Amino acid sequence: MSFRPDLRFWALAAALVLALAALWGPTAQAERPVYNLVAFIDITMSMNARDQTQDGRPQSRLDAVKERLTAAAARLPCGTKMGLGVFTERRSFMLLAPLDVCKNFTAFAGAVSGVTWRMAWEGDSRVSSGVFEALRLGRAIDADVLFFTDGQEAPPLRTDIPLSYDADGPAAARGLLVGVGGDQPTPIPKYDDFGREIGFLEMSDVPQESRIGPPPADAESRPGYNARNAPFGEMPAGEEHLTSVREPHLQELARLTGLGYARMGAPDALAEAIAANARPTAKPVRIGLAVIPAGLALAILVALYAAPLAARRRSGRRAQTA
Amino acid sequence: MSWLGVLGVDHPWALLLAPLAALPFFASPLRLSATPSDDLAPDDPLSAGLGAALAAAGCIALAGLALGLAGLHLREQSVERRGVGANVALLIDRSSSMDSTFANRLPDGAEESKSAAARRLLTDFASRRPADRVAVAAFSTSPMPIIPMTDEHEAVRAAIAAIDQAGLAKTDVGRGLLLAFSMFDASSSESSRAIVLVSDGAAVIDRRVQDALRDAAAKSPASLYWLFLRTEGSKGIYDAPAAGEEDSPFSNPERHLHIFLKSLGLPYRAFEARSPGDVSDAMREIDRLEQRPTLYRQKLPRRDLAPWCYGVASFGLALLLAAKLLERRLEEAPSDASVPEPAR
Repeated sequence: MSFRPDLRFWALAAALVLALAALWGPTAQAERPVYNLVAFIDITMSMNARDQTQDGRPQSRLDAVKERLTAAAARLPCGTKMGLGVFTERRSFMLLAPLDVCKNFTAFAGAVSGVTWRMAWEGDSRVSSGVFEALRLGRAIDADVLFFTDGQEAPPLRTDIPLSYDADGPAAARGLLVGVGGDQPTPIPKYDDFGREIGFLEMSDVPQESRIGPPPADAESRPGYNARNAPFGEMPAGEEHLTSVREPHLQELARLTGLGYARMGAPDALAEAIAANARPTAKPVRIGLAVIPAGLALAILVALYAAPLAARRRSGRRAQTA
Repeated sequence: MSWLGVLGVDHPWALLLAPLAALPFFASPLRLSATPSDDLAPDDPLSAGLGAALAAAGCIALAGLALGLAGLHLREQSVERRGVGANVALLIDRSSSMDSTFANRLPDGAEESKSAAARRLLTDFASRRPADRVAVAAFSTSPMPIIPMTDEHEAVRAAIAAIDQAGLAKTDVGRGLLLAFSMFDASSSESSRAIVLVSDGAAVIDRRVQDALRDAAAKSPASLYWLFLRTEGSKGIYDAPAAGEEDSPFSNPERHLHIFLKSLGLPYRAFEARSPGDVSDAMREIDRLEQRPTLYRQKLPRRDLAPWCYGVASFGLALLLAAKLLERRLEEAPSDASVPEPAR
């Protein structure tokens, strides 16, 4: 009456030891890249242009940004912090300091969905000033900047005065400038004092040319020139009342400031572009290693049960052929 | 279904391994007999029961391992709790005058700006009151909703944290209040709604906005607190102008906002704060007044069930191993057994 352990006994014993090891829960230290970001959303009138689509329906640029930003935030690694701000006129304005998006997703999504064009306090759209101020705000709280805009400056920039950026900080900014909008000139909806849509902006509704700074050298030769009453001459005809994404301008802004540039795409692509252009911080995380012993135990146990079945099939086949 | 709703797995593909748990009903880890026939043995319910039990042990071992690998967990849930607090809509002035101190100077090391003081004391206020549901809105030239009514207090802190950033030009308090009234949602019980307005000034409220505010106050009543951060040298809430001086919303907007808010027919208190200490006292007073029964949701973090799965699997394996230890070969049967040696 002696106990003679066989191979199956040792296999079961090994499976039990592995299962107990999994129960004990071994962990390993690892690092995950997380980001500290503030997303600024352009809420100027041109962002109301409906040249985006969602499920085959036209969607305004602002709605598209809100939807994609929320979806992209959900795809960034947990531990990433994101704040929220808006841009209009020449100011960027911070609404929400960066917060852990994973833990507070409902509130973050609620804050993003609350952004409307009606928050805007002025009609101008000096995108470059907005970007510069956003970078300043981001630097103050040590966060990288995401800036969603169509790049349409209103009034348009002077072509004869080059754009310059005075980075009053040592480090080059990191972050992403996201171009929003289609390539086709699209009309911009117009609203009355109560927020009701009353048609589209017309050519005479917006300045077609900048009147900022001294008049250009050739002003005297322009039609309607009057040294005192019209130093710039007549307002020329133009297409500033239509809007499309101004990629060359945004790329130049990105080059000046050190930001990355990407056209807004699907949430996955947006999350990737954010991860590629923002500064990652390594956040230590513990990864559970229990799956290794548990997987081994499962494999042993399955082999243990499947072996006699396989043997039975083989012997059955042998019996048939015999 | 409610139980399925609270359970989650991290790796659904690992659930494909779960059908393997049926294997023990077709095979056994015990030694195969050279003569595998039940006909030789008498019908024995105990043996049949033990056989089924061993199959079940194998089944739970396999199933436990597969579920553990899939990362079975109880999802994060929120439970409704009763507490003492309020549904608070914080309405914060973000005009640029908030960036100067109570003495109307640029903040230096010694004296903090009004917005920094408001930030510090509001953060205190929110963290003292875990049972509150809070919404945050700002107003300046235009009203801006920031965080809808929420139980997530970290989000509330983040919204308050942004208020000492640079502000905008004007103080459109009327439309700001209108926004605050609209922030109470269906789940904020009507008896415990409060609006806390923090501003360092007021402005003329448009006649149409006044009418809209009267409507809103009638529709969704809330108690109203105005924390007026009075800058040195500015006019106060209660100062009636001297005889012969103009007394209009244009010349004394603060006094007239106070008169207007009183006329709304809501429980209303105004606090005039001339220093951070006054603000602190006012916040404590609001804290004391707004102690009403509320329903709020508390989050229960996700709970991993994998250790339980592995524990159950270990139990099944231990049973099998015990059976294995008790296993004896047929030829080792006691010699006086009445069962005859099977013919080879």
